[in-house]
Amino acid sequence: MTTKPEERHEQLELCIPYVFGRLNPGNRKQFEAHLTSGCEKCIHELSGLYEATALLPLLLRQETPPSGLRQRILSRASSKKPEPQRVERPSAQRESPVTPATRPEFPWYRYAATAVGILMILALAYFVYELAGTTTRQQKQIADLEARLLQNDDVLAAFGAHQFEDVPLTGVEPGSGFSGRFFWDPSNRNGVLQIGGLPVAAEGKCYQLWMMKQNKYFAVMQFDVDSGQAVFVRMLSVPVGEKGEIEAFAVTLEPKEGSTQPSGAILLRGAR
Amino acid sequence: MQRNVLAQRQQIDREDADLLKRIQRSDQRALGSLYDRYVGVLYPFTLRVTGSNEAAEGVLHDVLLHVWEKSSSYAPQNGSVYAWLVALSRMKAVEKMRAANQKRKQESEGGAQRSASAADTKQPAAETIVALKGYAEEVRNSLKSLSKLELRLLELSYYEGQSQSDLARMLRIPLGTIKAKMRRGIQKLRLSSAEEAK
Repeated sequence: MTTKPEERHEQLELCIPYVFGRLNPGNRKQFEAHLTSGCEKCIHELSGLYEATALLPLLLRQETPPSGLRQRILSRASSKKPEPQRVERPSAQRESPVTPATRPEFPWYRYAATAVGILMILALAYFVYELAGTTTRQQKQIADLEARLLQNDDVLAAFGAHQFEDVPLTGVEPGSGFSGRFFWDPSNRNGVLQIGGLPVAAEGKCYQLWMMKQNKYFAVMQFDVDSGQAVFVRMLSVPVGEKGEIEAFAVTLEPKEGSTQPSGAILLRGAR
Repeated sequence: MQRNVLAQRQQIDREDADLLKRIQRSDQRALGSLYDRYVGVLYPFTLRVTGSNEAAEGVLHDVLLHVWEKSSSYAPQNGSVYAWLVALSRMKAVEKMRAANQKRKQESEGGAQRSASAADTKQPAAETIVALKGYAEEVRNSLKSLSKLELRLLELSYYEGQSQSDLARMLRIPLGTIKAKMRRGIQKLRLSSAEEAK
């Protein structure tokens, strides 16, 4: 904004009301725009007026500032950071609204402390995560052990029955290495299937035990095996009629949801 | 004596400039030094304008934080650091005063009476500042050329933001007289400050 010399001179008359805060907002804005344009006369006039009026406070009676004010100001300053150096017009310097900056000070040691804090939190979170995972794994192991103990109890119970039957199961295909036994108590229809050599069933598949009577297959239960290891599978309430009706037991590979009739090849078979 | 005062004033300005440079480098001790240096003047000043200890404290707080955050906005060619601090303090104080305008209007008459005796104070604020002692004394002597009415008008206008029309109504003095007295008072103030700066 450029201003004519005579206009600048007129503006000079506004310096006193400006310093004394008596300009209305519109005039004040115009005058500050004029100062921003770089009117040296007005800036010089203002400078002299500010120096002159700054003498007035020297005449005031001494008052004791509130105790702790110094500390409060310095404490507040410690959380603020001075702005980078910049050149500012005199008008803005003098009369621009004093707006406390909100940008907090963050010196290097605070960054470092924050980084250490974040790392500690991450480490703690990882530790908790690992601990939770370990706990879950251990809970699963305990459940497995409990199941095995229960199974062993069944096995022992089956073996301890007065009239338990032991039905050997053999692989139908020669050299398959499949083997098994079915221990069961016909009196209470509880039994334990011991299987060895069967591979882990493919995805979506499971093994299924069948019983045969009168040349018909009846589903007993489905089961899974671990890789290559002998497993004991507990069976409750084997759905048999009179014990004399059961002729044989068989194992097939079936879909996961089970089948009502064997759909796969007979893998193991054992006759009473 | 005049030469001594001038030397003191130049020394004060140099030290202030140094403090501002240190503040720009986030030196909090420099801010503390600036506080110690001028709180004796600025606190009574902001108290005079706001009329409230709490508001005066708030103004001083804002001013010092403004200096802390925006010390680079000070331009030496436009005046001394002290004048800058006073101008900032006045601006903030007037803002606060305007925010509580109704209350301030009720107290303005009492404030005028207080200000009339301000020039006769036995314990000038500046005397709390060792560096400003001689300077303040010289200023007070030079301001003796101000008549009581001139000083009162300047104080009412400067501290309380009273317009000349308001002053004319309040003091029941013709507006033309008010304008003339104020202009003369400002001229005397300027002469005093100019003599100090010579």
